[in-house]
Amino acid sequence: MISVQHLTKRYGSHVAVDDLSFEVAKGDVVGFLGPNGAGKSTTLRILAGFLGMTAGTVTIDGKDIEEESRLAKERIGYMPEAVPLYPEMRVGEYLAFRADLKGVSRSNRSKRVGIAMEKAKVGDREMTLIGNLSKGYRQRVGLADALVADPPLLILDEPTSGLDPNQIREVRDVIKGLGSDHTVLLSTHILSEVESSCDRVIVIARGKLVAEGTTDAIKNLQRSPGLEVRVRGSGKAAASAIEGILGVAKVETTTEGELAIVKLRWSKKATETDEASEQITAALVNAGLGVRSITPISSSLEEVFAQLTEPSHEDADG
Amino acid sequence: MRTFRAVFLRELFAFFVTPLAWVLVTVFLLVQGMHFYLLVSFFADQAQVSSDQTPVQAFFGNTVLLYIVLFLLIPPITMRLFAEERRSGTIETLMTAPVSTTGVVLAKYASALVVYAFLWAPTLLYIVILRRTGDVDWHIVGSSYLGVFLVGAGYLSLGLLMSAMTKSQFLALVLTAMVILTLFILGVGEFITREGTLIHDVCSHVSVWAQMNDFASGVVDSRRVVFDCTLIVLPLFLTVRVVDAWRWG
Repeated sequence: MISVQHLTKRYGSHVAVDDLSFEVAKGDVVGFLGPNGAGKSTTLRILAGFLGMTAGTVTIDGKDIEEESRLAKERIGYMPEAVPLYPEMRVGEYLAFRADLKGVSRSNRSKRVGIAMEKAKVGDREMTLIGNLSKGYRQRVGLADALVADPPLLILDEPTSGLDPNQIREVRDVIKGLGSDHTVLLSTHILSEVESSCDRVIVIARGKLVAEGTTDAIKNLQRSPGLEVRVRGSGKAAASAIEGILGVAKVETTTEGELAIVKLRWSKKATETDEASEQITAALVNAGLGVRSITPISSSLEEVFAQLTEPSHEDADG
Repeated sequence: MRTFRAVFLRELFAFFVTPLAWVLVTVFLLVQGMHFYLLVSFFADQAQVSSDQTPVQAFFGNTVLLYIVLFLLIPPITMRLFAEERRSGTIETLMTAPVSTTGVVLAKYASALVVYAFLWAPTLLYIVILRRTGDVDWHIVGSSYLGVFLVGAGYLSLGLLMSAMTKSQFLALVLTAMVILTLFILGVGEFITREGTLIHDVCSHVSVWAQMNDFASGVVDSRRVVFDCTLIVLPLFLTVRVVDAWRWG
């Protein structure tokens, strides 16, 4: 459905997207993941035909976005990140205008607007001025706009940004329901979002593709990168007790009064980290050290990216 | 064509659903009504009226009021058209729909033209009033309105271009006003430069003043029409290019 080949976008000397290539198959719900400033929005804007690219090709359902932009755009329902809308229009009027603009025939228009409003759950606000809508409703009107011409491909740029947890859940449910009829590419910087609604994930950082795979594979990346253990006793003894346990890649110790703080990192290949944590606790206790606390080091997406993009960790795995 | 109709209707909707168009209509009709009243009472006081100087001619030509009105009227009509779409970001949803840039530009321009014509339409009543008390030369009425329409169309086109060049409505307003003022001042140059020089020719060609004098006395000079049409087409063409160029911004 989407084919991106060697896509590059430069703003002056700044490279926003750097030689990015990926494919999205028909019927997939794909998460487009990356930290803020990774080039997600830029890429999606190029895919939607809003921005021009510096180099590379993008085809939507076989139509080149530059050469046959009109045909390509007809196949896309795009929801920009900020969800810009005309505040002086009512929801129903706006969607009817968008349907007209997207070539929905007059006879079909009210039916399509009705379906889109129902799918995006904005039916109860048809007569409300857009300027008076809450953020959550604006987001859903944006979604209804993307759906109104029933395009085979939906490109949603951070559909849940700026919403409260309840609204996020609602929007996610809506998106999940779309997967059966549409190919969906949605961007986010929240891992759990991808987990809950996507089949496949594309991860980019600094404009480059860093990982691509099923959601399960990415889940693996999400696990904690290591443990922080506070023990009473010498750091040296603690480090030597821990080293050699399967899955431990790197150990650092610092002291703080009578406590030793041991930070260890899991090797990339380690999968059974729960088991290893138990072994570590046992080893420390056996070594006669008083274990005060064991905390998993929290993993932010940025750290995952750091892991993914730093070649030194590969070497450390041995 | 589909692009054109949808965008055109939405723009008209935006003009008339917000107070802007109504404020403009009110101010415009107040000024024009006063203008007309003063003219008619002036002519009523004259014992003898020459045949080449009638209220209609005085209303459209030989007066600076017309330019002040255009100067105040055109920039607020066009300032919103692209600047607001860019500021609020709606340009992104607009341009990612299967539309053509030319269609969008022409639709926005056409909506501004309709608003402009809508402002002038009630002034036809003045002609009706004049008709009740005397003869009206319909050729002169026709050529006068043609002149007003052509001059306004050229300025609107320039205003659209200015609106496409900035994200700020206010800046678009100021830029448009400055361009119109510049054209007017160039036109004034006709009276202060020596006849026969190149600069004099240029100034008299650009002069809105001279043009409206011609049109208001029933003279439709093709050179004037060509100049006005250039002033319409060239900025429109540039606007299409500017809008396309945002993609690379």
